[in-house]
Amino acid sequence: MLRIVNGKVYDPANGIDGQVREICIDESGRIAQNVTGGRTIDATGMIVFPGGVDVHTHVAGGAINFARAMTPEDHRRTQAFIRTKTRRSGLGGMAPTTFATGYLYAGMGWTTVNEAAVPVLSARHTHEELTDIPIVDKASLTLMANNEIVLDLLENGEYERAKHAVAWYVWAAKSYGIKAVNPGGVAAWKWGHDAKQLTSPIAGYNNITPGTIVTQLARICEELNLPHPIHLHCNNLGAPGNIATTIDTLKHLEGRRAHIAHSQYHAYGGDGWESMCSRTSELADYFNSHPQLTTDAGAVLFGDTVTITADGPWQHLLYKLTGRKWGNLDVENETGCGIVPYTYRPSNLVNAVQWAAGLELLLLIKDPWQVFLSTDHPNGGCFWRYPEIIKLLMCADFRRECLTQLPARIKKHITLPEIDREYTLYEVATAMSAGPARALGLTRKGNLGVGCDGDVVIYHDTDDVEQMFGHPRYVIKGGEIVIEEGEIRETPEGREFLARPSYDPATDEFMKPLFEECYTMSFENYPVELERIERAEIMECSSE
Amino acid sequence: MGGKVTCTLGEVKQRADFIIYWGGNPAECHPRHFTKYTIMQKSKFLPRGRKDRTMVLVDIRETKSVKAADIFLQVRPGRDFELITILRAMIKDQHVADEQLAETGLARDVLEDLVARMKSAKFGCMFFGMGLSMTRGKHMNSAALLTLAAEMNAFTKFVAMPMRGHGNVTGADVIMRWQTGYPFGITFNRGYPRYNPGEFSTVDVLVRGDCDAAFIIGADPGATMPQPAIDHLKRIPTIVLDPHVTHTSRLARVHITTAPQGIAAPGTAYRMDELPLPLKPALKSPYPTDEEVVRRINAAIADKPFWLPEGSQPQMLTAQV
Ligand SMILES: [Zn+2]
Repeated sequence: MLRIVNGKVYDPANGIDGQVREICIDESGRIAQNVTGGRTIDATGMIVFPGGVDVHTHVAGGAINFARAMTPEDHRRTQAFIRTKTRRSGLGGMAPTTFATGYLYAGMGWTTVNEAAVPVLSARHTHEELTDIPIVDKASLTLMANNEIVLDLLENGEYERAKHAVAWYVWAAKSYGIKAVNPGGVAAWKWGHDAKQLTSPIAGYNNITPGTIVTQLARICEELNLPHPIHLHCNNLGAPGNIATTIDTLKHLEGRRAHIAHSQYHAYGGDGWESMCSRTSELADYFNSHPQLTTDAGAVLFGDTVTITADGPWQHLLYKLTGRKWGNLDVENETGCGIVPYTYRPSNLVNAVQWAAGLELLLLIKDPWQVFLSTDHPNGGCFWRYPEIIKLLMCADFRRECLTQLPARIKKHITLPEIDREYTLYEVATAMSAGPARALGLTRKGNLGVGCDGDVVIYHDTDDVEQMFGHPRYVIKGGEIVIEEGEIRETPEGREFLARPSYDPATDEFMKPLFEECYTMSFENYPVELERIERAEIMECSSE
Repeated sequence: MGGKVTCTLGEVKQRADFIIYWGGNPAECHPRHFTKYTIMQKSKFLPRGRKDRTMVLVDIRETKSVKAADIFLQVRPGRDFELITILRAMIKDQHVADEQLAETGLARDVLEDLVARMKSAKFGCMFFGMGLSMTRGKHMNSAALLTLAAEMNAFTKFVAMPMRGHGNVTGADVIMRWQTGYPFGITFNRGYPRYNPGEFSTVDVLVRGDCDAAFIIGADPGATMPQPAIDHLKRIPTIVLDPHVTHTSRLARVHITTAPQGIAAPGTAYRMDELPLPLKPALKSPYPTDEEVVRRINAAIADKPFWLPEGSQPQMLTAQV
């Protein structure tokens, strides 16, 4: 039991904007009206936020583990966690080890993370890694937009059956929702091609196009009543001029709810690397007039990182551009992934445009309930650098100072210099916690109302924004103080959120013969058993 | 140079119309590879199975796998790296001198034919075995082959994959990576993981006599390691967990019989393409599983005083060179 008194509370889910409130957490770890006994934290001179929620990150599974294997030189120079009685050893850096991932997220006040790209075939691996990420609660999304069984069904107009197959896959993977990456493009990549045109049939098919896949999957997510709508990584990621594809994709949603992943990578004009420019104002306008859409920034920070994505063709292009290491893993029937180490440099025009574009989206989309903090970790930068982004959002002067470091000719390519908006603490709390929690349908997260999870972060109220957000005074997870004065106190295990959509029981019979054809794993071994998920919390989804 | 362009075995089964086995003898070492994953399979894209696929074998000697191959290239021993480098040049139409070719023991027209076939394949896959990765050049050979596969993608789809050994070697590699960042050759002697194969690999630590206890699961170093390593295992307290009495058990202070993985103990095994497979035991064993034994030892150790003085919190290190 815990009582937090005298702190200025920022709880956007309940409209509380800096008023001094008392927050109580009962013995079950939930926010309560009142408690008797237990510890009291005097938060005088401090501010109180709901724990951060990362709507889109890559922290567990085959792809990030591939990235770890490819970057030993980074492990050697990075932050090392020495084993103590309460904490296991590990390494931070571009692709942190599992234990370190939990400590680093909790260390800056984030208490829930969503692993955004899981192939069903290796979901078992992803869950094993998620189990080894301490403190934070977790959810994961299944990759679906290039699954050949589902594509074949859509090709043949068997929408209903495709819907049941998708539901079957979500439960087989023990995941929380659906991620669509470069619809049709990853499937085409398996023949070395890509899908660039939203309305052209994808390689190997006559009817379905990236556009129809988007429309149908968005509808499937809605009809299955999944807590999170379709999580969409649009086609043409990273390419100059891709704004047209992005807007076209959004139109294909036909008014349905959707979360658009890492929009920064999808908001460019120009027709080549030299003329590439930011077209974020167009994209922001679209969001501003479509409140049913949410997005995360996928912001870029200058420095070293490793890029990992299911977008195989893009990674091949990046490898050709940089001449650096290239990892690629195509996953049978379902998806693929590519890995390329990358350095974002302020002197590079393309990188400078990317840096500006991420911030522009966060600043030009008016409603913080629609745009969330993310770097698409580790693609645009590492998650443990979020406090740097918060500073950039809160301090226009600091942004101007940073802009002076960029090439002078950048001005014609971006709109950031014209933006004066500064985030308030209330808006920061929305973009880092309340907003992403609501978009994910995690009703007890990002919310300090009675009955919600006792995930709270308490910061010193100082002018040094980066210091303040990088070093919370206390982090509380499920009522337990996990971080106090920069030290890890407790390392409880987090839970995993699963969604269980309903599907026709005959789906098993239907899938089995297709399996023998498409996979090299036996049908019985494919679904992850529920017993394999430690501390599962299941959300039942009833479809009408 | 670096990286790895690969896929799961199902992709090979479905799509690979061109398969190279390099420095391996799958017919004898991985007998189900041909039938389950590669040349014999029929698929949606390769309906005629074997007839739709070309198989090339590269090795220093004729093995039983030659019979299954369409083309056999006998490379001179220790010249794999040179051959791969020549292929990397030839795919880019760079000039290769006759004397360089002569070193490999292969004729120009043979290699020109190979390059033409590689480029006209729709989906090429190279499997490499210990004959490449454990002979002269070692990991440089593997890296060169992986680079060749990556570079082939300028012309057509190409991937490469190592043929891993038996047991759950891949599983150990995968888990060490997510917990420590490194696959093997790791030391924790400063309280956090550091990596240096050749220094921290088991055999090096034993030969130097650097460790004062050994705990061995699912391996039999007493049968395979050099004598100085074995001698050190005899000197120090060595504990073996194994379903069978092994060579190592005989020189160990303690042998604990455990339930065999996959037969009587559940868990996950990782296939050579890193796909996780559940182990569903069919039998019950009177012996505990490895996991139970390790958990109990760990609990007993937790009761001992911690290695750091009470109350001390070492700071995280920010820069390591
Ligand atoms: Zn992502």
